[in-house]
Amino acid sequence: MAKEILKYILWFAALVAAQVMLFNNLCLFNVAIPLVFIYFIIKLPVTLGVNWVMTLSFLLGLTIDIFSNTQGMNALACTILGALRMPVLHLYFPRDDELSNPSPSSRTLGPAVFMKYLATCVVLYCALFFLIESFTFFNFGLTLMRIAASSALTFVIILAVDTIPGSRR
Amino acid sequence: MRNLLDFIVRFSSWFVFAFYVIASCWLLFDRNPYQHHVWLTSAGSVAAGVYDVSNNVTGYFSLRSINEDLQRRQADLEAEVASLRTQLRSAREALEQDSLARVDSLAQFRFIVATAISNSVTRPYNYITLDKGEAEGLEPEMGVMDQNGVVGVVNVTGKHHARVISLLNPNFRLSCKLRGSDAFGSLVWDGKSPREALLEELPKHTRFHKGDTIITSGYSAMFPEGIPVGTIMGSARGEDDNFFTLRIRLLTDFTALSTVKVISNRDMLEIKEVETDETGNRPGLGM
Repeated sequence: MAKEILKYILWFAALVAAQVMLFNNLCLFNVAIPLVFIYFIIKLPVTLGVNWVMTLSFLLGLTIDIFSNTQGMNALACTILGALRMPVLHLYFPRDDELSNPSPSSRTLGPAVFMKYLATCVVLYCALFFLIESFTFFNFGLTLMRIAASSALTFVIILAVDTIPGSRR
Repeated sequence: MRNLLDFIVRFSSWFVFAFYVIASCWLLFDRNPYQHHVWLTSAGSVAAGVYDVSNNVTGYFSLRSINEDLQRRQADLEAEVASLRTQLRSAREALEQDSLARVDSLAQFRFIVATAISNSVTRPYNYITLDKGEAEGLEPEMGVMDQNGVVGVVNVTGKHHARVISLLNPNFRLSCKLRGSDAFGSLVWDGKSPREALLEELPKHTRFHKGDTIITSGYSAMFPEGIPVGTIMGSARGEDDNFFTLRIRLLTDFTALSTVKVISNRDMLEIKEVETDETGNRPGLGM
């Protein structure tokens, strides 16, 4: 149990560091920004209570906000993603008692289910984030482009991260 | 009582959800960047410490282009020094004759060199983090420039770090004028490209050409007059109202920002006091 907690703390630190030092500086074609840190929310154990998931999501979002001067945007989007994570997973995988390992990954869920779950979460998050960001800065075409391009890039990078040894056990 | 407790336990996740959503909205709708707490910005010591470490590595990457910019700027300055020297000599000769006191108007400005340790250009509201803070004499509302032109204005200061509102942020309006003319307008970023901005409210009678240089007007305490900002690319909107709106190519390369100069104005406090009206309200952020 303690080992699991330590593992998640390390993931939290590593994903935040990677996001603020590397991925925040990446911007393909002026539209696609990878938001890779949400992998932490995606892989929290399914057995964890939804209150804990939302608390951790909020803290993750707030940490990213502090680093990237976005004041509450990521905190809000992360909280909503944390709340909707399990309903999304149940769309594709109704029986979470059959899981051998409570942490969702392409190994535990099977590649097809995991990809569907991941894609839904990523699109949901990117849509939330860029819509919140564009509240006062309205340019709908650009916002849609950003949502689509960032979702695709984030999806690909998270799939790659998910194959790192140690992320699946 | 028991029913109430049951109710709270049963719907606890809704309460937790509502609490976090309200907390983030409270942060989100606090739109005035001057009121952000230092710990919630990248000038807080933890966030800034991480950026210090990463800048130690990435700071070397753009040295070549910065070096070229510096060489070019230095050549410009040398030419200017040479011309000023001849002017000074003739002025001094004239002065010797009527023995008037010289006024050194630039002595009120002092420059503090700092390094940008984090920077964004792709967001709708962009900020820059500097590795100097209150301990080095930085204060909110000081202007920031680099070797090419205006960068932004200091807005939150920590002990050894500061956050700057980038020129690429609609919260920042800069008073500018055409070089060689007194027509002035207000420069603001429109969110489209990190290399371009708009110069608004330029009087209709102004004559300008494509490629003309835009400089700071000196109408605020933040920037002295004459710091280059950009060059005119062309007219941006229909010309049916009473003002021109011009599209400006910015001289500062925000995608490769490294060493910057913070402008400390000796007279800033005094100017601010004069500008403050009796009720204590400042008449807008005239930048």
